[in-house]
Amino acid sequence: MFWKLAWRNLWRNRTRTLLSSFVIAFGLSALVFVDGLMEGMTVNMVRNATDTFLGHAQLHRQGFRDELDVKRTIADLDQRIASLEQHPDLERWSKRVLSQGMLASSAGAEPVLVIGVDPKRERDLSKFDEGIRDGNYLESASGNDMLVGSKLAEKLELQLGDRIVLTGIDADTQEMVQELFRLGGIFHMGTREMDEAMVLAPLQTLQKMLLLEEGVHEVAFRFSNLDRDGFPQTPVMLPVDDRKNKLQLWSELMPALNMMKEWSGVSMSIISIILFFIIGLGITNTLLMGLYERMFELGVIKSLGTTPWQATRLMFYEAACLGLVSVLFGIVLSILFTWIFATAGIDYTGIEFSGVTFQEKIYPALRWERLVQYPFWTFGFTMVASIYPSWKLFRMMPVEALRKRKF
Amino acid sequence: METVIATERLNKKFGEGDLQINALREVDLTIQRGEFTAIVGPSGSGKTTLLNILCGLDLPTSGEIRVSGKPLSSMNGTELSRFRRNHIGLVFQAYNLIPVLTVLENIEYVMLLQGISPRERKDRVRDFLGRIGLEGKEKRFPSELSGGQQQRVAIARAMVSEPDLILADEPTANLDSETGSQLLDMMRRFNREQKMTFIFSTHDPMIMERATRLITLTDGKIVQDERRE
Repeated sequence: MFWKLAWRNLWRNRTRTLLSSFVIAFGLSALVFVDGLMEGMTVNMVRNATDTFLGHAQLHRQGFRDELDVKRTIADLDQRIASLEQHPDLERWSKRVLSQGMLASSAGAEPVLVIGVDPKRERDLSKFDEGIRDGNYLESASGNDMLVGSKLAEKLELQLGDRIVLTGIDADTQEMVQELFRLGGIFHMGTREMDEAMVLAPLQTLQKMLLLEEGVHEVAFRFSNLDRDGFPQTPVMLPVDDRKNKLQLWSELMPALNMMKEWSGVSMSIISIILFFIIGLGITNTLLMGLYERMFELGVIKSLGTTPWQATRLMFYEAACLGLVSVLFGIVLSILFTWIFATAGIDYTGIEFSGVTFQEKIYPALRWERLVQYPFWTFGFTMVASIYPSWKLFRMMPVEALRKRKF
Repeated sequence: METVIATERLNKKFGEGDLQINALREVDLTIQRGEFTAIVGPSGSGKTTLLNILCGLDLPTSGEIRVSGKPLSSMNGTELSRFRRNHIGLVFQAYNLIPVLTVLENIEYVMLLQGISPRERKDRVRDFLGRIGLEGKEKRFPSELSGGQQQRVAIARAMVSEPDLILADEPTANLDSETGSQLLDMMRRFNREQKMTFIFSTHDPMIMERATRLITLTDGKIVQDERRE
């Protein structure tokens, strides 16, 4: 009977109940949608970062990334690659030489990070080939073609075919060495760091220039079968006795991105608390209005012998009915909102965030467990919000309530 | 005779200082089982206050009250609720049915609180609907009934749980004289047949005519107590 009473009471003021229900449902769907958007954004950023250049993991000599010391080439390179090739989910890899240097044209000179690559392998691992705006991608691991970022090309006033001189330090004598290149292409990756200060050169040419012989500084790996966070499902590791080299996953290589990913969880918690608080106030208001409107009637109910606890139960049941209706409505809205945007996508293309540029639309990703977690918390907050009105009803003296109207 | 209600030097004051009103003064009252009592008096004489105190809705400022031998002053809110549920039936002037419950649900509400089984509740409701002439209307909501029909439902709600005492505060005030008369006859019949005890607060001469006892209150004091069996 109390459930029946609560349910019918709830719909006595249909407009108010529907409005309250919509506020709760909208808040819930906003939470699910924002969560999905953040998830989609994070997935997008991780994929952009790993697909554009980083790879899912990289192998270096211990300490190389601290100072980019050209002498620190990977130890036992062939054995390490051979052992990592045993990984069941390894898709491809690419060897790289990395060096800081100075690139000079007739218009000036700029400090650069030069990366020596084998274009065939690199094409499958990074997206420099897709980012070529003018000219062509590198054709072989030898030769003297060079690819330059778009902003660097502007600074150095470079045209395709221009001669450019790269100055670096060789690994053997630590003397300055120079090599003449021709501008074969200009890439635009959308990331300031890459477009302003990164150049690509053939791997073997750079090895020869820096006296590295067959040595390389970096091997980037791509894996399939990744988990939701972009990590290989099967752990990737070096032999335990390899103390000379270091294998790092993308989260270590781009700590800012990883931190952003972790903070998105904290942000969601803060947003959730604020939204739940607002929802809670709305529910308290709705229930209190219902209480004050029906004060006399509730006085009658109590005067007929309904105990204070039974009256409180009635208020809790009303809150539960409102919460249940709103949550179901909210789940439908959540699925609808997320589906619409997950189908159409949200266009952030070209915007750089946390060192990563969005290369494609963001598609909110609905996590089904959120359709249980958030509704559960919304329902919980609805019940918490009903404590105050219930307490008011518990304390209400029937005789005081009956004096609200002459009977 | 069995005493249903006994009050001793009952006082009720509202307000404080110069604004204090003595709603009841030294009220000594004993009601026996089966009495059909009307409390009469001008507006503000304390009739409703007395009824509220008799059913435990309000507390006296001083004095003692026993209903079916139980002192009300020692009971907390929950105990008073249980006491009303099990011993008192209330009939209000404006019927005061629960608008979202049907006739059947309104009548069985108190029995539900009493924990009576659904089957017995239904049997009793069906029996009462026949006695108050509302067969076939059990699924109607109060808004679909006339004032007289609503008051019949309210009376059925008060009586169906078989309380020791039924308190009715101006039950005919909102009804036309014919409907009021029919309802009073019905209550008088229950009073005679089942020895149910009724106390009315009223201005209505129809009630006064039918009452077996007439208590007159003036300024919170009993000034006349007339038995008319």
